[in-house]
Parts: sequence; C-alpha cells; structure tokens
Amino acid sequence: MVPTKSPAVATSVNDFTVLPLRVPGLPSYPKDTTHHLYLRANAPKAPTADTPREVFLVNVPIDATDVHLRSLFANQLGGARVESVAFEGARVGKGITAPVAPARKKRKRGQEDGESAAPAEVGLLPETWDRETHCSGGTAIVTFVDKPSAESGLREARRAVKSGKTITWGEVIDGKVPALGLARYAAHHKRRHPSHHALQESIDAYMTTFAAQEAARAKALARQRAEPDEDGFITVVRGGRSDLAREDAVRLKEEELKKRQEKMIGEGFYKFQHRERKKKESQALVGQFEMDRRRVEEMRKRRGG
Amino acid sequence: MAPSNAKRRKLEHVSSGEDDDDSFAGFSGSEEDSSESAQPSVNAESVGQDFAQGLGMDDGGIDENPAEEPESTVHLEQAVARASREEQAIVNGAAKTAQPKQMPMANKISYSRSYESGPSKSGIFKLQMDDMLERVRPRQGKREAAAEAALHRLKQTIEQIAPRPAQSVEDAERALLKEKIVIPFPDPRPSKDVLYKLEYAKPANITVVGSHVLKVTSAVRRLLQIDMVVQMPSHLLQSKDYLNYRFFYKRAYYLACVAAALSGAHGDEYSVSYSSMHDNVLLPVIQVRPTGKTSSVADKPAKAPAWQIDIALSAADDVFSAEKLGMSKNCVRKNDEQVKAHDSPTPLYNSSLRTCMLMNAYLVLQHKAASSCAAYRDACLMGSLWLESKRLGSSISRGGFGNFEWGVIVALLLRGGGPNGKALLGPGYSSYQLFKATLQLLALQDLRKKPLVVGEAKSFTESSEWPVVWDAERSHNILYKMTDWSYQALQSTAKRTLAALGDQHFDAFDSTFTTPVSSRLLDHDCLIELAHAALAKSATTKRERSSPLLSDLYAVLRRGLGDRVDEVDLHVPSTPDWNIGVARPPPSTGSVTVGLRVDPEHAHRLVDHGPSADNKAEAAAFRAFWGDKAKLRRFRDGSILESLVWATEEAGQSVVEQVCRYLLGKHFGARVEGSARFVGDECIPLLWKANGIAPFQPLMEAYKQLETDIRGLEALPLSIRQIMSADAQLRFASIEAPSITHGIKQAAPAAVTLQFEGSSRWPDDLVAVQRTKLAFLLKLGELMNDNVEAVQSRMGLENQGEDVSNQGFLDITYDNGAAFRLRIHHEREQGMLERQMKLKELDPKTKQTSALALASYKRDFVKGSAHTQAIAQLATRFPGFTGTVRLIKKWFASHLLSNHIPDEIMELCVARSFTQPDPWSVPSSTQNGFLRTLAWLAKWNWREEPLIVDMSGSGELKDVGYQAIGTRFEAWRKLDPALNRVVLFAASHVDHDGTTWTDGQPSKVVAGRMTALAGAAMQAVEAQSIDLDPASLFVSPLEDYDFVLHLSAAAFGSRKKSKETGFKNLKVQNTADTSLVGFQPAEDFLTELQTLYGAAIVFFCGGAERKVIAGLWSPLTAPRAWKVNLRVF
Repeated sequence: MVPTKSPAVATSVNDFTVLPLRVPGLPSYPKDTTHHLYLRANAPKAPTADTPREVFLVNVPIDATDVHLRSLFANQLGGARVESVAFEGARVGKGITAPVAPARKKRKRGQEDGESAAPAEVGLLPETWDRETHCSGGTAIVTFVDKPSAESGLREARRAVKSGKTITWGEVIDGKVPALGLARYAAHHKRRHPSHHALQESIDAYMTTFAAQEAARAKALARQRAEPDEDGFITVVRGGRSDLAREDAVRLKEEELKKRQEKMIGEGFYKFQHRERKKKESQALVGQFEMDRRRVEEMRKRRGG
Repeated sequence: MAPSNAKRRKLEHVSSGEDDDDSFAGFSGSEEDSSESAQPSVNAESVGQDFAQGLGMDDGGIDENPAEEPESTVHLEQAVARASREEQAIVNGAAKTAQPKQMPMANKISYSRSYESGPSKSGIFKLQMDDMLERVRPRQGKREAAAEAALHRLKQTIEQIAPRPAQSVEDAERALLKEKIVIPFPDPRPSKDVLYKLEYAKPANITVVGSHVLKVTSAVRRLLQIDMVVQMPSHLLQSKDYLNYRFFYKRAYYLACVAAALSGAHGDEYSVSYSSMHDNVLLPVIQVRPTGKTSSVADKPAKAPAWQIDIALSAADDVFSAEKLGMSKNCVRKNDEQVKAHDSPTPLYNSSLRTCMLMNAYLVLQHKAASSCAAYRDACLMGSLWLESKRLGSSISRGGFGNFEWGVIVALLLRGGGPNGKALLGPGYSSYQLFKATLQLLALQDLRKKPLVVGEAKSFTESSEWPVVWDAERSHNILYKMTDWSYQALQSTAKRTLAALGDQHFDAFDSTFTTPVSSRLLDHDCLIELAHAALAKSATTKRERSSPLLSDLYAVLRRGLGDRVDEVDLHVPSTPDWNIGVARPPPSTGSVTVGLRVDPEHAHRLVDHGPSADNKAEAAAFRAFWGDKAKLRRFRDGSILESLVWATEEAGQSVVEQVCRYLLGKHFGARVEGSARFVGDECIPLLWKANGIAPFQPLMEAYKQLETDIRGLEALPLSIRQIMSADAQLRFASIEAPSITHGIKQAAPAAVTLQFEGSSRWPDDLVAVQRTKLAFLLKLGELMNDNVEAVQSRMGLENQGEDVSNQGFLDITYDNGAAFRLRIHHEREQGMLERQMKLKELDPKTKQTSALALASYKRDFVKGSAHTQAIAQLATRFPGFTGTVRLIKKWFASHLLSNHIPDEIMELCVARSFTQPDPWSVPSSTQNGFLRTLAWLAKWNWREEPLIVDMSGSGELKDVGYQAIGTRFEAWRKLDPALNRVVLFAASHVDHDGTTWTDGQPSKVVAGRMTALAGAAMQAVEAQSIDLDPASLFVSPLEDYDFVLHLSAAAFGSRKKSKETGFKNLKVQNTADTSLVGFQPAEDFLTELQTLYGAAIVFFCGGAERKVIAGLWSPLTAPRAWKVNLRVF
C-alpha cells in the first residue's frame, strides 16, 4: 500500500519537469527521502499580463514558504529572482481548485457586498501560527521579476534534472523561517494566548469600525427608503422597523394567536374533526404496519433466511 | 395523486378486500418520491443545506399523505369497525397461516393493533415472532426420516428380546457381564444378600413421547432428540418395590437387558451408551446415536450426530400408590432405625419414581392441550427458544427447568391454577399471551413460599423450601429437579425478560429469543471456580437432594455474603454419557462455578454487624458460623455487637473475595479454599484511581467555586443566566481522573459555558457577535484577576480563519491546579446562522462554513452541556458507570481509535448497557459493564440500527421523540446510503438529532474496525472465559498499520522535560506554570497532519494512552500501472 517510489521516475510528465528534491533526514528518522516537484510555465485558461513571468508548481512540499522557493531558485537553480509566491488555498471537497490570486492575508469580514476595503484592515485578531503549511500535493504559482528570469528558472530546473544534480530542500534557509516540530506547537500555544492588551486593542478597533459601518449603512438604507429612483419607485430595503429581534417577536405572536384560535374551537367540537382524527389514526396504523413488514423482511434478508 | 384516482382505488378495496396492496404501494411510492426528489440535489459541496431541506421534506411526506383522500372516510371507518370485530379471531391465530402479502387491509390494521400494548408500540415484534415461528416449526426432513427409521428398527428389536428368567442380583450381573454389559445400578448398589429377583419380560408397550412427537421442538436445533419410552410390564414389580431403591434396581436391570439386545443387534450402526436422564443419577437411560465417522463426541459441532434417541423405562401409572410417594414421605428406610418419623422426606427419590410412572400421562396432557388450544404449540416453541437462549434446560446441571417443564406448566395452566380452581389461561389466548402469562407466573409468584397447585389438592398440604408446581391430578411436583439457586436464576431471568418485553421502545425480540446469553463472565460480577473433586471430599451432608454438597455450598455462601450479593448461582458440569460396559459415569473432573451478582452498594462494606451480645442464642449461632472471625465489638452508639472486620480492598482482595475464601476454608476445608479461583474485577488495576466518582470530586468542588466566583462578580455588564459544564472531566468520564493535587496545573482545562441574560444590544452580525464575546471574556478575565484570590485568567483564540465560529475562550486557572476553559454561549447565534444558510445568494463555501459553525455551536453550547448533565446523573445513579466509561475509553484509546470515535459516543454506548441492560441485569461492576458494552459493540449493526439512549431513567424520551429519531435516521440512510458522511447514528433524550457527534467523524473503515476489534475481544472472552486476562483486551498490535510515528513524551505535555533545571525550587515553579495549561502539542500535531495529509492517509491515535500515531494509506494512493489514455470513439 505504501506508495513506494517506482524505480525509474520519469523526468517529465506531459509538459511538467519533474525535479527531485532531497529531503534530509531527521534525528527521529535518519534517512534521506526524495520529493518530486513538478514545474512548468503557467498556462491558465485566462492569461493575464503577469502570466509570462509565472511558473506553475505542483506537489509543493507541505512546509514550503516563499523563503524556501526564493532560495531554491536564487541559490540552487541559477539565481533567478522571485517576486512573489502564491500557494493554493484551502482545498474544497475532493477536487483541487485552481490556485487563486495571492492569498489575502487579511481576512474577509462578513458584510461582503459594497464594503470598502478600508475597514477590513483593522481589528484583525492576532495570527496564531508563525508559519503556514500546505496540503500535501498542493500547487503554487511563482511569479518572477521578469519573463527571462522565469524562463531561466525553468531551464535551470530541466538542466538539474538532466545532470542528476542533487538539490536539497531547504538547505540554505536555516534560521530564516520559524522551526517546525515541537517548537512550532509551543509557539502556536504562545501565540494563541495573546496578551490582554493586544487583544483588547484589536477588538476595540474592530468594534469602533463596526459601529461606524453600521451607522453608515443605516443611513444609506434610510436614504434609499426616502428617495425614489429615476422611475419614481421607492426601493424596499431591509431595516427600518423590521429588525431581526422584531421578526422573532412577530413570529411568536403569530403562533400564540394560532394556539388561542385552536383552543377556542376545541378538539372534538365538530364531527369532521372526530372523523378526521379516526381516519388519521387508522392510516397511521396501516402505515406503521407496512413499515414494520418491510423492516422484518429486510431483517430476514439480512439473516439470509 | 388525483382525487378521482384515489376514490377509485378505495372503492375497489371495499368491494374486494383483497386487492388493496396497490393502494399501499401508492402510499409507499409517494413517500419514496418525496425522498427521491431530494436525493439528486446532494453533492459533496453543499451537503449541509440540502440535507436540512431533505429532512424537512421527508418529515412532511408521511404526515401530508393522510389528508389527500377525504372521500374515502366512510369506507375506511367500516373497515376499521370490521377490523376491531375480527381482532380477537386473528389474535387467536386464525389468520396466522395467511401470508402477510395477501392480507386484507382490515387485518393489517388489526394485526398492528393486536399487539397488546396499544397503538404506540409497533407491531414489529409480532411480525418478527411469526416469521421466526414459521422458520423454527418442526418439519419433516432428512434427519427426521433417518431418526424415525431408527425408531422403528429399535422398536422391533426391543419387542423381540427374549425374556430372561428371574435371577438373583449376582447371577443377573454375571450373566450380563458375559455380554460385556454392566447393570447401571444407582448408588448405593444393591447388597449381595437381597432376596428379590431380577427378571426381564416383554415390555408392556413402547411409545414415543416428548417434544418431538408433540411437534414442539424448534427445527433449527443442532441435535434432534427423541424420547422413546419402554414400559416395564407390571408383573415384574411388587407393591413394596417403591421402597429402598428396589424399583430403580429392577429398572436398571431391565435397561441393561435392553442395552444388551440393542448393542448386539445394532452395535455397528448405532452407538449405544448409558446416560442419566436429566442428570438424575437414579434414572439411567440408553442413548442411541448414529455412528458416523465421528466418535459421537459433542465437542466437534460440525460433525456432531444429527439425532439421538433416548430410551427410558417407565412403569404403569398404577403400580404404586401415589400417596406413598408424596413429597413429604420417606421411601429410603434405614434398617437400624425403626422409628419412621425420624426419617427425613425423600422428595427427589419419590418424584423420580413418579416421573417413571407418569411419562404417558404427561404426553396425554400435552396432547390434549395442543388439541384444545390452537396456540399451545407455538407457545411451547417460543418457550423452548427462550429457554435455549437463556441456557436453561431440563437437566439438573442446566437448572432443571426445560422444554418439558415449560410445556407441562402451560398445559396445566390451561386447565387450572387460577383463583377458585379456574384456569389461569384460556384456550383463546394467542401464543404470545400464553408465553407472557407463563413468564409472569415464573417471575412474579414465589413458588417456594406459595406453591402453585393445579387441581383438587387433597394430598398436598405442606409448603416446602423448594419451588413447587403441584399437579394434583397426577400428584407430582413438576419442578422437583430445581434447586434454590436455579429457581432464583430462572425467576430473575424471567423478570428481566418481562421488563424487556414491557419496554415500549426497544425491540426486545432478539434479546428474548435469539441472542444467546453467552459467557458467564458477562453474566456475573464475580465467579468462583472450585475443583469438584476437592469439594466432594469435604461432604458433610444431611439432606436428600439432587446435589447435597452444592446445597450446603449455596447455603453457606448465601448466608455469609448476605446483602453483599443479590444472587448466587451455581453451575455444575453435566454428567456425560458413559459406556455400557461401565456401571457409573467416570467421576467428574470438572469444576463447580459459583456466579455472584454483586450489590455494589453493600459489596465493599468493611464491617459487618452481627447480633447483639445479649441475644445469646443468635450470637452463638453467629459464632458457630463465622468461627474466629467473629469478634465482639463496642460501637460508637454504645451497642455491643458480634461483628466481622474485613481488610481494606487496597490490600488486593475485594471484600467479597475475602468473605468467600474465609467461608470456604472454614466450612469446606483448606483444600477447597486452596482450589478456589476467584475472578472479579480484574479490570480495576487498569485504571488509575478507579474508585467511582471520588477522584473527580476535587475538580467538581473547584467547579462549584468557579461558579460562585463568577456569580459574585458585580461589575459585569450583563447578568448571568446560567453556567454549564461541558466536559468529560466534569461528568466523571475522562480516562484519567483530573489531578489537582500539589498545585500541579491540570493539563486539559475543563470546558465550561457561560450564558448571559438576553439583551437587545448584541450586534446583528455574526462576526461582530464573536468579537463581542471576546470583549466580554476580556472583561470577565480582568474582573476575575482583580476580584478573586488565587486565580489566574488568560485569553485564548481558536478557530482561526472561521470568523463566524467561536473565536476565543478564557482559561481560568486556580492556584490549586484546577483549570477551566470558559466560552460564552449566545443563544441567538443559532438563529442567525440558520438564517444565513437560507440566503439564496450565498456562495457554497460560506454556506459550508456557516453549516460547520452551526454544527459546532450546537455541539459545544447546546448538546454538550445537556449531555454532560445527563452523563453526570448516570454516574451518580449507577456506581459502576464511571469506571466502565473510563475503561471503554481506555480500550478505544489503546486501539488507537480515540481520535475517530468521539468521547460522547463511547459514553452513550456505556449508558446504553446501563439503561437497557437486557438480557442481563444492570451491570454492577466495572468489568461487567465493560465486557457487556464490548459485547454490544461487537454485534451493533450500525448500518441499520440507530443507537438511541434514554439516559433520564424516567422515560423523558417519549414516543414522539423515538419516532422523530427513527425518521431522521431513515432519512439519513436514504440520502447517504453509502455512509460517506454519517456512519454511526447516536441519539439520546437530550439530543434528537443523532448526528451531533458523528457527522463525518468515524468513517466506515473506522466503524468497521471498531466492530471487528470488539468482536475479537468477545471471542477471547468466550474462548478463555474464566482464564481471561482483561489486560490482554487492551493490547493492539501495530503491524496492521502502514507506518507508525512514535512520539516523545514531551509531545504530551509531560513535565519531565524540566529535569535539566537543577534547582528544586525552580522545578516547582515550572510545574506550577499556568502558561502550559492546555498545551497539547500531540493533539495539535495530529490535527495538522490530518489537514495536510487527510486526503491520502487515515491517522490513528490513542492520545496519551498510547504515544503513537499510526497511519494507513488510502487505497486510492496505491501505485497504479501506467495506462495509455486510449479512447475509442
């Protein structure tokens, strides 16, 4: 079952170059392993202006950071300079989504439509990890400073594959990225318990912005309600008198009224009620019987009788 | 469904009454339609939302249907009326032969009503029962034919045996010895100087009796057993032969003659051997079996003989007077003692003799019952299945209550037994009613104190200390083979079955009829195994009984253990059949097993109070019984009592074991005591601090302190509605009891939720709500730090990136070490999330996060706290509960399943074995609860059965609840038939959803492994029984996994890593470091592994119980052959 490395790994698959990376052993597992990184020039369905200077990577190591990739191209593959790296976002379901534009470090904040970007910047909660990891087998897009760098990066990779040069993953980045292992979790533990002060500040900032936003929105809605559009109609918008709490109250009231109505009439008042009740009962009985019969038959089948 | 269409169908049904299967097909069809319409919309991306809709539709589907056909009301009314008239007739079994498929609708209604507990209970029990009866009813097959052919041949042979003249005992023995046959004389064998002669003459008649000829045996039995009776001619017997074993000697000789003839004529076809009838040494019988290739040894079930004919001898029913063989009469006179009155009664002897005389009479009785009562045979079949599954039988070793006794009692009750001599059962009863009424008699009437007398009881006046069902007409005690303990066992079994049958909500069918009560280890809390031989040597018997020794043993243990045990049961090995060349079976080498059912409240009491010293007679008896152990003591209240003091249990032996060992040594000698093996709570040492809920008390007190502290804060912006606990440690259910001694901080803080009074000032935005909660927590932390002594609080963040989920918590650590994790419960979150999920314009990803947030909201804030309360209540209600839960959790952890199976599911499984203990009683020891839970896990068919537990103990889960849960379960299975999302479905009275804990959690692979592991454990229990080492159940090899990561101790927050600091005071500071509370790197690591590699690898982890993470590659990642992508168009 273990996906052992087949003896001969193809040097290229379709138009991907297969670059073997040596992952050095660890004290707990002192054996070198080989990781295969797949590279090709980026060719999305809808190319953008940046496409020519991008390289598409598949099967990115889980611990890859932009530092790793920068140093890979700069120090080990001929010195091409990388401008930025975009890793694949979260996986959705089983399918792999195409890599998105550079992941926004800033989280989206609820109210998506029509919100200006300005308030999204403030009030973020502190990051709890010192370094991100990526799903196994993920993709990334490396954007080089210019098109020749991208081409040279790819070329160097192909040459390295051909010459059988050993490239060690993460060789020259010691100390530039936070350590993994127990240290990572210790750091995480530390970071997820931020200082009182920092947290308070962030929340205060958020709440202030939120309040301002709410006020602005209420104002906008009020304006919309008051002003007819060019055709002379007034848009019906949410807000005003019917807020959420009120809706609940209305529903409760409705239910109460209904209950009162039922109580007034009573259960066995009309003949048809009695009749209907009886009918329902007998039908329920029959339905139950049918269901039971089916279940027993299933049971018998299961027993193989 | 067009109304006209519906009308037409209804009319049809009224006119024909047969063809209405169509209309029901319509019913079910429409149901399926509604669910199918929901089905295609399910896909992996947005299951949550669609699913909720699907459920809604399905719920409605059933309710809406009835409203569609208003025209047919009248017709239906008529049908129902007719049904109720017919009901009784159908119950009586008149309609039983009809196949359910052609059943008219009226019958369907009545059928489902005929189940006597009213409309709420489904008729599924009855359907199952009929189905089962159909399958087990005796039929004529190959082996029956073979056995009957053999019967004819045996009969011929016996009829042709030449008579033997009257001879003295010695001559007779010698003559037979020439043919290598020994006369199976009972013990004591006749003395040489007896004057009477032994003689053989042609039998008066030969008949076949018993269950085979009455057609009341189940056809699925492995062994077809036929009883053949040869009646000795009356002229061989004299009127005084009932005395002093003379009848039995003559009978033995007659039997030996028959055996000689049979082995001579059929020795090569059949194996002929002696056996004792129902383990009764007085009544040897001949056993005839086919000699296949096998040696007729029963230990090879695959090759065991298909049939067996027991040839018993009877006498005419008028040879001896019935009065002289009454229960209080003595028939074994001692020569030296002339005074008759001093002879103790010999009921077993008398009844054995009566049995020989009454064989034909009981056949007639049962025949009459079968012909007068249509359901009699079925009731007997049910009884026999029930007895079989409870391991009860006619032979003395199996309790002395079997098919024959069952059948005769039912037959007797059909003729009498009620008040004023009226029949207790009516001939019109259904088989189920007969069955249940008989069970009720067995369960509720103590036949020892108040014997059941059927018929005019002239000769019966006395009550005795053993159970009696007196058949006055034939003056015979049906239960003569039963002992005190076997009767008690029968009674409690019947009680349990009745309770299970009375339970409205659970299908008691399997536990009543089909599930065998397997290992004794599961049945009893304690087992004591004694070597039979050692026990036999210490015989000090006075009473005439089937097994005097055992009676003594029972009496001693029963008296000595007192209220420490509820039940004492003895199990003896049954007598094997023996060669016809030997007089008696080889002495038993087996062992006697004593099973105890412990009362957990009293079992661990260290001091027993005896009678007061003033009460001379009682005190003397007490001293005589207890010997040196009895000490006179003065107690605090001034009383001076005889008393017993036992060593504390920490010394290694439980009090029950000490008592038993002491008594065995005192009353049966050191040899017996030495041979005794005691099996009790072997699981206890597996847990650290296993004594009930006590180890959790410090944390519970700290929790109370926390509550008062929080409520005491005055400057909080909102008032507090409630504080709830939602953590395994706060419901007495974590593997390790929380250690909060010596100021060592608790590693895992206990989760607590805090709910404020409602306020309209909460924001209407989910993200903002989460931030507001954080703000509240900050404020609370500040206040705690300022106002409360000896406490530290610290904010923490969680669910980073999912900003509609809970974002943070407050860790509150007391200086004594107790740590709590406080989260704020805002009740409007649910509504807001639900509303958000309904928004149409939302993208699937946001929808999914909302669904996840909603699920975790329900889990953490609503269901979690309710579940915690329910489990905590159970833990206080049942003393063995906490230990069982902890042991089960340890078991799951040892098998590296604890990261897949949620804690709550394990707790529910255990709660199930305590609240629905059937077919056992409520487990009273940890080991018992553990093994029974495993037994249930092994046979839980989670594909088709939901786990529903009503933990309230007061029936809080109502019919509606059960129905709702059932509907939900079926809906889930319909929507997700491949079990990709929900595998285990577990609901309780506080959680009707059933998927709160198991949505996506254990995959099919893991659930399958759980079942397989539990099955393997049960096999070990079955195979090793008393030799079982419970620790071996917790050993799981790592070879099954593709790779294993061994984690260092540091990964589990072990505090040993501070050992490099050389200074003692620094070390202490370090352990008291609050910043390490909640630091669980192994868990974080596992979570990260799962997110990174979860698509290709399944990880298994057992937490701190076993410091490894094992991995299994998904089959999808297996190396595949390279394929050319060719397509033919």
